[in-house]
Amino acid sequence: MLATIKKSAMLLLAVFGFTVMALAQTQTVTGTVTDKKGEPIPGVTVSIKGSKTATSTNAQGVYTLTNVPSDAVLVFTGVGVTSREENVNGKSSLNVDVETSVGNLNEVIVVGYGTARKRDLTGSVASVKAKDFNKGLVTGADQLIQGKVAGVQIINTSGAPGGATTVRIRGNSSVRSGNQPLFVIDGVPLDGRSARPGVDINLTDAPGRTPDANPLNFINPNDIASMDVLKDASATAIYGSRGANGVVLITTKKGLSGASKIDFSASAGVSNLFRNYKVLDASQYRAALKEYGLTSGDFGGNVDAMDEITRTAISQNYNIAIGGGNESGKYRLSAGYQNLEGIIKKSGFKKYTANLNTNFKFLESKKLGLDINVLTSQTTENIAPIANTSGFTGSLISQAISWNPTHPLRNPDGTIWIKDAAIGQTTINPLTTLEAYSDVSNLTGVLASVSPYYKFNNDLEYRFLYSVNHSVGTRRTSLKSYINIQSIEGKGWANYGNNELTTQLAQHTLNYNKKISSSLNLNAVVGYEYQKFDSKGTGQSGQGFLTTDVDYTNYLQGSTQDSRRSTSFADPISELQSFFGRVAFNLEDKYLLTATMRADGSSKFGTNNRYGYFPSVAGAWNISNEDFMKDGLFDNFKLRVGWGKTGNQEFPAGSAQERYSFSQGSYQQSNVANPDLKWETSTTTNAGIDFGLFKGRLSGTVDYFNKQTSDLLFNFDAIQPAPATKYWVNLGGDVINKGWEVALNALIVKSRDLNWNLGVNAAFLQNELQNYVGPAVLTGELSGQGISGTRVQKLENGYPLNSFYVRRFLGLDKSSGISTYTDNGNSFFYIGNPNPSTLLGISTDVTYKNLSLSVNLNGAFGHEIYNNTLNSVLNIGNLGSRNIAASLLEGDIQENKSNGLAASSRYLENGNYLKVANATLSYGVGNIGRSIKNLNIFITGQNLAVITKFTGFDPEVNTDKQIDGVPSFGIEYIPYPSPRTFLLGVTFSL
Amino acid sequence: MKYKIIISSIFLVGSVTSCTKLDETLRDNVTFEQATKIVDPVALLKSSYDGLNDAYVNQDNVWALSEFPTDEAIPPSRGKDWDDNGVWRVLHTQTWDADNAKMLSSFNALLKIVYNASNTLNFNPPAGIAAEAKFLRAFAMFSVVDLFGQVPYRVPGSALLKAPDVLTAAQALDTIIAQVTAILPQLPDGPAIKANKDAARVLLMKCYLNRGTFLNRETPTFAAADMSKVISLADEIKASTRNYVLTTNFYDNFAPKNDILSKENIFTLDDGPGKTGTRTGNKVLKNWHASMHYNQKPSGWNGFTTLAELYDKFEPIDQRIGAAYPGVTDVVGTRVGLLIGQQFNQTGAKLKDGLGNDLVFTKAVTLIASGATLETSGIRVVKYPPDLVNDNDDADNDFVFYRYADVLLMKAEAILRGGTGTGALALVNEVRARAKATPLLAVTLNTILDERAREFYWESYRRLDNQRFGRFLAAYSEKPTVSDKKYLLYPIPNNALAVNPNLKQNPGY
Repeated sequence: MLATIKKSAMLLLAVFGFTVMALAQTQTVTGTVTDKKGEPIPGVTVSIKGSKTATSTNAQGVYTLTNVPSDAVLVFTGVGVTSREENVNGKSSLNVDVETSVGNLNEVIVVGYGTARKRDLTGSVASVKAKDFNKGLVTGADQLIQGKVAGVQIINTSGAPGGATTVRIRGNSSVRSGNQPLFVIDGVPLDGRSARPGVDINLTDAPGRTPDANPLNFINPNDIASMDVLKDASATAIYGSRGANGVVLITTKKGLSGASKIDFSASAGVSNLFRNYKVLDASQYRAALKEYGLTSGDFGGNVDAMDEITRTAISQNYNIAIGGGNESGKYRLSAGYQNLEGIIKKSGFKKYTANLNTNFKFLESKKLGLDINVLTSQTTENIAPIANTSGFTGSLISQAISWNPTHPLRNPDGTIWIKDAAIGQTTINPLTTLEAYSDVSNLTGVLASVSPYYKFNNDLEYRFLYSVNHSVGTRRTSLKSYINIQSIEGKGWANYGNNELTTQLAQHTLNYNKKISSSLNLNAVVGYEYQKFDSKGTGQSGQGFLTTDVDYTNYLQGSTQDSRRSTSFADPISELQSFFGRVAFNLEDKYLLTATMRADGSSKFGTNNRYGYFPSVAGAWNISNEDFMKDGLFDNFKLRVGWGKTGNQEFPAGSAQERYSFSQGSYQQSNVANPDLKWETSTTTNAGIDFGLFKGRLSGTVDYFNKQTSDLLFNFDAIQPAPATKYWVNLGGDVINKGWEVALNALIVKSRDLNWNLGVNAAFLQNELQNYVGPAVLTGELSGQGISGTRVQKLENGYPLNSFYVRRFLGLDKSSGISTYTDNGNSFFYIGNPNPSTLLGISTDVTYKNLSLSVNLNGAFGHEIYNNTLNSVLNIGNLGSRNIAASLLEGDIQENKSNGLAASSRYLENGNYLKVANATLSYGVGNIGRSIKNLNIFITGQNLAVITKFTGFDPEVNTDKQIDGVPSFGIEYIPYPSPRTFLLGVTFSL
Repeated sequence: MKYKIIISSIFLVGSVTSCTKLDETLRDNVTFEQATKIVDPVALLKSSYDGLNDAYVNQDNVWALSEFPTDEAIPPSRGKDWDDNGVWRVLHTQTWDADNAKMLSSFNALLKIVYNASNTLNFNPPAGIAAEAKFLRAFAMFSVVDLFGQVPYRVPGSALLKAPDVLTAAQALDTIIAQVTAILPQLPDGPAIKANKDAARVLLMKCYLNRGTFLNRETPTFAAADMSKVISLADEIKASTRNYVLTTNFYDNFAPKNDILSKENIFTLDDGPGKTGTRTGNKVLKNWHASMHYNQKPSGWNGFTTLAELYDKFEPIDQRIGAAYPGVTDVVGTRVGLLIGQQFNQTGAKLKDGLGNDLVFTKAVTLIASGATLETSGIRVVKYPPDLVNDNDDADNDFVFYRYADVLLMKAEAILRGGTGTGALALVNEVRARAKATPLLAVTLNTILDERAREFYWESYRRLDNQRFGRFLAAYSEKPTVSDKKYLLYPIPNNALAVNPNLKQNPGY
């Protein structure tokens, strides 16, 4: 054993020293291995019979073997594949089809800087292929795998088409913004930010900060072949200082060898409001006024404002992809068009994508290759007037749900009414908001990569990757002067924003794959990577416009001089330089060992801590390959254990330096330098079992993990006197995330006509802040009338992150109808936890002949949601002017109209839910005539049903209520409501 | 073969040439070295002036801490309004703790001014600018020692990651007095929007007048020498080239364009169109919005009110109790001063509240408003006549820190407290005469405290005045019991304690 390692080490050395070995001249054989249906099979071992020369098929089922004697016999073997032999007979191209059994352990999983067969994995990695993606209207790639992977929580934080998602792999591990995983597209790690300029109408009484867009909008989901989620440190440590939140690897579709083929898909859908707040209708409202003895507040009308601002939205999707090629060149060209209306009037999302993916091979030996990938996109968002931080004037949703249902929204002549002293001059008609607000964002992006590679021989490959990801976002926002918002009325307001985001990447990798002896296989990768992140932007705003007939942003020069604000920023270019390596040993397909190491240097880090080191080691034992298990119950049984360190460096560039910044006519020091500032470190231990029974009919994975995050990056209180209130430090304290993940997949019925597959995944998570001695940190800042500055979440030692810390509500006093609290509301308690203890995902598909049905459910349990909307927008004090939640009248005790709305456990709601996220019924018509192939018709429903006690729009919610850069979690505040969508579509090939 | 060599060389060259030193270059900000090359000390100093807004003008900080724990202001919660997690109520009832957000934000906002002003000195500014910077630093330090009883103090240029030393109240006062006295000759004579000689004199007066209070909050003592200093400084101000007189119309001192209208403002913050964009926190408009009802014009936030204690101190003819103000009352109906009873629009029609009742502001007010007077309880305060043209962040009313009336009343008080000088009664009556109030026949310390209430209500003076007169802990409306002496000082915010071990928590917290 030792000798073998020594030998391989020497070999590695020799290889990295670029010792060139002389090799005999023989022919090259290449080809594609498919199953009987013609689907390519990756990971099939192709070897020359009687020799050590072997290779395996890549993700497209393609293999290339060099130095093959022309009379050789090729052997195709693999787990789940019936072995097959073929004579070369001097052919240079040899395509074969093989018999497969279910549960393909040869499935190739994309891992960091390479691929691995599923059975060779030592880390916790889950792979979702295109056929298993969520169906329906999807704008961001992350939505494709919602509910599909154990331990991965994906929340659509807004129902707006193109809205952001919250993705949490194994819980929250950071105490500041930046808990999203790293997304990597075809080997290119993304920046993670969107170039869409943010808008915070930072004027007195103005609506506030608008929600973010999904940074993954630029990818066409239809171009994605697979998504692999790396969860534990042994899998993610090779991504070093960006790996701590998990890594999602996105692999786009590639062209296949053969005649050119056109794939076409089209769908159209309708969307409606999924769930609404239960508020009073006009007759209930009148009854309530009477009950409360109020003489005013009935304006005689009967309106449903929510109905007035929403609509049945139409959506269209078209995709076309052309692919083909031969042994020396393959291509895939695709174009997509998506036009989604939002269910809120005027809102919508349009996306154009065009992608080109080519793979070329050169030279007679086909040893030199070149992959070129270009993803281009253009998205246009019409953003609804909805803000996360609206104060008492509210934003569209709060104005609509709290609208007095007896007060008409329009004058008798049909025009929209703007001000009415009787209902209060500050009451804003939601239709006025809808009409007065215009917010259009355009994002243009390109992600291009060029990757030449050279195969020195069957064992050694060098690859270079250069990519540039550039996106430009513009945003034109205006609020017309006729709206009765104090700081806008009579003046209007407009803002033009422009952001640019550029990431460049240069990557060198050397991949060595060698069968060292008949029983030992070595796979090694070493590499160097350099990344450069550049973010800059400008913004101009003004007030005092003369006409509303044309868009304010078209004549900003018409604003008054004093009202103009202009800003621009250019973050320091941040550079990330990394050295990494991985070795994986496979002894007799039974004992697997993987070790990785990455050194990351970042210009963002303080001068005293420029480089971080992130090691990992993991082992696995394929027990089912042992003789004593060979004929047992299990056709696969593998134990995995891994340990590793990963990092997180999501803090703003420039944070470590002393800086002076500029504002109108002045400059001042704006940052406290911290030369010790460095990454946050997560140390993860993971142990898991993979198993398969009954010839793969039942398979599953169980994982236990313990992730300890230390050196917490935090924007902490500066030591006063100081130029800024906060500065970035690595805080003492640990965030512990631990838990279990279970994923099971069963092929319950398998027959010629009927197949039924069921997949269930669940995660049981625990989160706690430990060893923290600093002052308690408050976050989760509520908004709305009367609760300014109220923070309901607290980070404190011994509690889960973002624990709710509020008064304990004891009910209404029987006689006074006033809220009562423990200790009269003077004491606060940790009541409630926004972090779910259980995540559940269920996917099932049933196929009967040409008909198939797939249903996806997801749920989260054991957590609470703070209903800020109920607290500040629909409270009893509104009665007589605005609307209230219907639930307020349901109790036995009549709530006093002057009852305060102190934040308390009264507004904490059980967040448990189980949702039928989507269901698709499709019918495979088959081929029509000679040209149309694989015609498939489908109907998909999204957001079909939800079981929950939560009273808001959707329990799947996370309104961004962060303050001081400390993220909030699990608070609902007047979000863009979720739609329910039905989609009818067709796909076929030519 | 040759390809191998080519590829290998690409790899080698690539990995060698791409290695970078990872130096971070600022692009929209500059380093200290670059900043030293900017020769514009006025622009450097501006951040200190701008910082005054958040600390003093915004209702969240010094203003709230100085007004609410007193008998002249109350922040009632009104059903769905102004609950704000009880953060206001604890101020009025004197039941706060060291986690209170208002204390933390005040501490930070004040010390940011201290830092920025101090940092200006690192850039070798001309003597005049350095003097202005030192004045602003002393001005903010005075508030820190007033509210918190100790002041963390950095020597300019010292390392920011090192916890600074902390000055005791006595040390802080000595430092302020020494520095302000030293720079006084270098300060300009005016105008009021700049740190000026007379502003420095007022600050010194406040130091001497309050020294005994800062050193012994429970039972203040007053050294005759200090009082005499107060008097001599007042006389210097009277003799100043700026010829202060009390402005005929009391409210002109706070009105839009008060930079022209006022004859008595000594130190103000320059507000107005185009001037406030770089400032954080609510601007001067809060002075009318915070108290006025929604249905008044300009539409207010229906929040803070005053108490019967203040209202009852006035005789009805006193202009300061309330008046019509030309350009406001005749245009939108809103009066200035204290607003009580039925409110009208400009045509004399009665205004209504949100419940449909007549908008009648009541004298009675509770900390948690309810019932029929949910929206209307409490006497409103509109000391700053609203800027109807710029009823937004750009409102043209300069926020007032120091007025000549204060100089007169401080001098009168110092005389009564044993300083060398005479004529206290005349000084008080000078102030009263402007307000058309009946002249007093005699003056005592108590009448001075009352006169200060009438003259300076809602100008952030009341807490310290009550402390100097030993009345701070006493009961008042909606605070029925005498509070513990620890409330004489605010606690050092827990967040600040956690990062600076040299700070010691004030006793009792």
